[in-house]
Amino acid sequence: MNTKNINYKLPKLASFKALVLIGLLLISIVSARAQDKKTILGTIFDSDGQPLAGATVMEKGTSNGTTADFDGNYSIEVTNGSTLEISFIGFVTKPIVINNTTASPLNVTLEADMVSLDAVELVAVGYGTMRKSDLTGAISTVNSEELVKGTLSSTEQALQGKVAGLTVVQGTGDPSSGATMRLRGGTSLTASNNPLIVIDGIPGVDINQVQPNDIASVDVLKDASATAIYGSRGANGVIIITTKSKAAGFSVSYSGISGISFASNHLDMLSANQWRSYVRGNETVGAIDYGADTDWQKELERAAYRRSHTLSMSAGGENSGMRSSITYFDNEGIVKTTGLQRLSGNINVHQFTLDKKIRFDVGLFATIDKWHPLDYRIFERAFNLNPTIPVYDENGNFTEVGGTLYENPVEILTHRTTDDKRNRLLGYFKTEFNFTPALKGVVNLSLENNAHTGNTYKPSTAVLEGRTEGGYAQKVYDEYTNMQLEAYLSYTKEFGKHMLNAMGGYSYLENTYEGFGAQRSGFETDLFEYNNLGAGQDYRLGDVYSYKGKSNLVSFYARANYSYDSRYMVTATVREDGSSRFGDNNKWGFFPSASVAWNIANEEFMDGTNNWLNQLKLRGGYGVTGNQDGIGEYKSLSILGVGQDSYYDPATDSWKLAYSPTQNPNPDLKWESTEQFNVGLDFGLFGRITGSLEWYSKTTKDLLYTYQVPQPPYLVGTMLANVGELSNKGIELTLNANIINNDKFKWDANLNLSSNEQKIEKLSNQVYETDVIYSGSLHGLSGMSNQFSQIIKEGYPVGTFWGYESSGLDENGAFILSEEKTDIGDIQPSLNVGIGMNFTYDSFDFSFSGYGMFGQDVLNATNMMLYDPNRLPAYNVPDDFLDSGITSDPTYSSYWVEDASFFRLQNVTFGYTVPMDKVFSKLRLYLMGENLAVFTGYNGVDPEVDMTGLADPGLDRFNNYPRPTTVSFGLNITLKN
Amino acid sequence: MKKNIITILVTTLLVTASCTNMEEELYDKVQDDDFGTTPKEVEALVGGAYSSLRGFSDEISNSFPTCEYVFFLNEVASDEATIPTRGQDWYDGGRYQQTQRHTWDAENGMILSAWRYCYTGISKVNSIIYQIDQSGLSEDDKKPIYAELKAIRAYYYYRLLDMFGNVPIITDFKNQELPANSTRKEVYDFVESELLNALPYLRSEIVYSKFTKNVAYTLLARLYLNSEAFVGIARWQDCIAMCQQVSGYSINPDFFANFATENQGSNELIFAIPYDSDAGTVGNYLSSMTYHYLHQFTVSVTGDYPWCGNGICAQPGAYSKFLDTDKRKASMLEGEQINLATGSVLIMDSGEPLIYTEAIEDFTNAKQNEGVRLSKYEVKEGEKWERDHDWVVMRYAEVLMMQAECYVRMGSPELARPFLDQIAQRAGTETPDVIDLDYINDELLREFAFEGRRRTDNIRFGTFFEPWWEKESTPKYRGIFPIPQSELDKNKNLKQNPEY
Repeated sequence: MNTKNINYKLPKLASFKALVLIGLLLISIVSARAQDKKTILGTIFDSDGQPLAGATVMEKGTSNGTTADFDGNYSIEVTNGSTLEISFIGFVTKPIVINNTTASPLNVTLEADMVSLDAVELVAVGYGTMRKSDLTGAISTVNSEELVKGTLSSTEQALQGKVAGLTVVQGTGDPSSGATMRLRGGTSLTASNNPLIVIDGIPGVDINQVQPNDIASVDVLKDASATAIYGSRGANGVIIITTKSKAAGFSVSYSGISGISFASNHLDMLSANQWRSYVRGNETVGAIDYGADTDWQKELERAAYRRSHTLSMSAGGENSGMRSSITYFDNEGIVKTTGLQRLSGNINVHQFTLDKKIRFDVGLFATIDKWHPLDYRIFERAFNLNPTIPVYDENGNFTEVGGTLYENPVEILTHRTTDDKRNRLLGYFKTEFNFTPALKGVVNLSLENNAHTGNTYKPSTAVLEGRTEGGYAQKVYDEYTNMQLEAYLSYTKEFGKHMLNAMGGYSYLENTYEGFGAQRSGFETDLFEYNNLGAGQDYRLGDVYSYKGKSNLVSFYARANYSYDSRYMVTATVREDGSSRFGDNNKWGFFPSASVAWNIANEEFMDGTNNWLNQLKLRGGYGVTGNQDGIGEYKSLSILGVGQDSYYDPATDSWKLAYSPTQNPNPDLKWESTEQFNVGLDFGLFGRITGSLEWYSKTTKDLLYTYQVPQPPYLVGTMLANVGELSNKGIELTLNANIINNDKFKWDANLNLSSNEQKIEKLSNQVYETDVIYSGSLHGLSGMSNQFSQIIKEGYPVGTFWGYESSGLDENGAFILSEEKTDIGDIQPSLNVGIGMNFTYDSFDFSFSGYGMFGQDVLNATNMMLYDPNRLPAYNVPDDFLDSGITSDPTYSSYWVEDASFFRLQNVTFGYTVPMDKVFSKLRLYLMGENLAVFTGYNGVDPEVDMTGLADPGLDRFNNYPRPTTVSFGLNITLKN
Repeated sequence: MKKNIITILVTTLLVTASCTNMEEELYDKVQDDDFGTTPKEVEALVGGAYSSLRGFSDEISNSFPTCEYVFFLNEVASDEATIPTRGQDWYDGGRYQQTQRHTWDAENGMILSAWRYCYTGISKVNSIIYQIDQSGLSEDDKKPIYAELKAIRAYYYYRLLDMFGNVPIITDFKNQELPANSTRKEVYDFVESELLNALPYLRSEIVYSKFTKNVAYTLLARLYLNSEAFVGIARWQDCIAMCQQVSGYSINPDFFANFATENQGSNELIFAIPYDSDAGTVGNYLSSMTYHYLHQFTVSVTGDYPWCGNGICAQPGAYSKFLDTDKRKASMLEGEQINLATGSVLIMDSGEPLIYTEAIEDFTNAKQNEGVRLSKYEVKEGEKWERDHDWVVMRYAEVLMMQAECYVRMGSPELARPFLDQIAQRAGTETPDVIDLDYINDELLREFAFEGRRRTDNIRFGTFFEPWWEKESTPKYRGIFPIPQSELDKNKNLKQNPEY
């Protein structure tokens, strides 16, 4: 994952950069003779068009040379016919023959050297950076050009398929639905399992605060030795995002993409004519032909337009720099009314002062999202409705046919108003004190605010709810604010072959959340929509509410790492977290880690293999991390709440509010703790291939879950407690290859594979005994009230389908089922794959990427309910049902649990870079196709089903928002002085 | 500049030093120790004991006394109601089929629902008693409050006694030891003594919807009426004595006024659980559980009536117990259902007309229109999902019928006649010349159909154990339900009821 482009990172350590500059200046010896000389000027860039300050320009075979200045400019006097060698650490040296025809200025672009880059590439490790070569933990890095490109609606999607062990799933094709991430299998039954996001050093922020175009690099901290520095929030891994910043020069760039998308798949339901011929052929009693020919799925859809524009500007000199950007995108959803519009802007500025002793960084990110939430019930209705029913009746009104689950989905979709908005704001002010070259102090103050507004109006004509409510309007508002202070000192010193880096710090986080909501019904007119709640005349208790809560987290942390001769490295970290959420008996958690690495390739005995084995490093680590997301506020206390609990007071003939205890208090409540071992091997072969292999084993103890407790004696039936144990074991392989690399033609490939095995080890302790937890609820499906499809049970992974084994149909078309319920599959993939290739030929480029998941099962509850002999003629069925021979009522069994393995061709891009030197430093046009193909044997609309959460992971049940296939055209322009 | 930096550093250190406080700050909630000190706060606490009677819905069970599933369990187990499986609808893991056939097992979710209804209510009352203990009220002020709370708790224990028999008795909120079963007799004695001890402090006057002396007398009468069935000790005379204590009520000439949307004015109601959807009450939607999916068009021209799920209906045989002249026959809805918009009979998805019939041809695959419907409570156009009528728990007709039954059982049927005449007269029927237990049994069905108490009557009359529609004979031990398996799993001190 570690390729080119170090320039974004260098400014972060300006002092380091200055050192490099000085060093290079000392090394370069200028000696020139005055005969047949020629002066060559120019600028040195990297492949992204960023100037390379400090690059060396040498006349081959002589000591004549110079170094590029801060803006990448150089000037050198050379002999005609000689060869100039332009080099820079981490880049492939480029020779240029100078003759009479050589133009001046001579601008040179250097290509990154994948292997040697490790020596200087800096990796964010939390509260600082480390040289990649010194790392002892498992950390994957994704640079900006490796991120997924396209008409993305969430920043998570930019990482999909890019990191071994990181699964990103967007459960539906709805642009506003967001994506979820899971690293190495997830560790919690209760919390989100999303990794901790750190943006520019600020932990715990919303990843969508930053847009993919503004990301310079993403470092994914995977093992506990790397994440333990984040203590009680590190158990699910840490994703550190470093945004683009700027040190020198001026540039403006624009990137835009515009495309059209359409549904990639549908369920094949009977068309009106198929329905008619079935009804006639079977002489079905009671079939009503309404005369139309309606494809209800298509009636909900449209060709959707997607457009995105990003404008960014950066400028800077030796002592200051700034970068700002604005992004606007409008991603329409293929289901009418849906989509996501986002406007986002960010600016970051830095300034050195006092001889570079102090550096100030100020950053501000803001986004506004707007979307129209969808009533997902429309999908089931679209499958139910008889295809002969017209969408509109002869008067132009929506056709209404009575019956349960038979409402006109087009009416549901279009006949109500939902407008939601989310504002995100993240700001920080960071001060870095360089007390001495070795000792540095950092103080970072930050604030994040995330505010959501939701508006709904269901007019008095709307069939579902609106009509019985006489018009229904609702407004909700919720927001949270994180205020954080981080302060730490770090010390770095080299003594001969010894290198020591130590840091220690403190952080304080205060999280406040609050919200309110109001709803009314009984409107005389539908004209106000949700804008005048006071006009609703039907008022009920609970129509208005508000809430507020707060938590804080106090932490002390330290890390030391020592390396000897770049061969042996040791890192140790500790963190102590105290949280207001923890129960009285467990206020402080302690999270240690230690790891070692051996850089075998640097050993003398390896000299003989250096020609093919460029890099070989063995790492091993152990650590303890925590997860406290699952606790929530006030869960340890005995609390009286007031809510829907009203009582009648006959004395005043009125209703009053009762105050009652709402939860079982648990003063022992604490974080979930995860112990993890990791062994890794980094290697580089033939100067063209790099890779790493990781093995890990992690065990999560004190699993938080809302366990069912006996009644009596407990007040309520459930209680949040730390009880169970869960394990994840797996391996990951990452490979990057620079297969062909010559002037005209380049071919890069990358591949990542990961495999994880999960198991519930324990669900009971001395106090709580749980044999099995039922999950994967089928509630809401007809005839399946209070039925569950999955179990959480010792010895099985989360999301294990538990039901009757079906060996098909008997001669009467009834399901043949096993006597007992058993394990009939699970949602855990056995293999995750991400693959990408880039080809460049002259000015043309071509790339594709894809990802896949293999071995996971999905319950196709949609088909389970649709393949029902009771449905015809009133309800529609899939084409295939007629040949299926099924005569039994819908029954949950392995018959409907399908292997949902798939490989998705995520992105195919064909681009052309217009060669020009003057006005634009870069102009690239491209055509892109997203989600062009899915290879799967799964029978539903899409095999990629939401796998997160406990409620219904891996359940395909009428939430079939089809994924779009998108074709777009894009343009990138960069302007520089 | 340097000075500024020093200032920043010093400030940082100061902030650091002060920021290690980890107490939780509460904004929209109160901790239990902080509440219950003023009379208003005490009232708000006691109010919670009454609101608990409406039941609840959580991730484990729907525990509503009005339908899902406390009511369903008791009704389907009786001879007056059933929930047939209609196609795929209302199968739900076979829980209704099991209950109809009296073959329920300890995993039946409806049984858990009933258990949790009672124990959640009991724990809530215990927690309120604990709050009152902590409050600054004088001991004299506390006594009537304790009496009221313990009487409500006794009502929950009465229902446990009736449904489960051998259940743990817990009275201390802070004691979280896993309790063991008490015997059915111990539970019976506990209910009796709690009510008798509370009586002196309960209010004598009629206070609608509150636990007064009259409510306690009626509940004690119920206890004594079923004493033989519960613990094998016949106490017919005690039952009559308690009934005689009940005063101030009368039979409402309009039978259905007791079940009107605004039924709180009826002087027949001794105890009811008040509902008002505007006050946010939930769980009161039985009408939507019984009528056909298209029923809304028989109530309103525009279909302005909530969705209905076509579930629970009368067990075949119950409807025929009514004479045509019996006004109470309208408790059950039979026949063609007319679309108010067109004036013609509604047509179902199958193309057949919607005619509610008493017969149900195939219990496990019933037609949508089969089974007459529960229609005791008023149905009104424009109603919301949550209905507004109060849920009737005890009414004066029961006090009359209990006395009549006791006299018949004690061999003096003629002493029963004046009570039975009052009931028959209002219904538009006549008491027969010969009054026997069969008549009492049928009259109880006609009078109290779908009031959630038929299972207890069936057990007392013994018919419960005989075969009836879609049911073989029932072994005696099934006169109480099994203790829910999930509770046994979590509490090893708890023993299953005999023979389960």
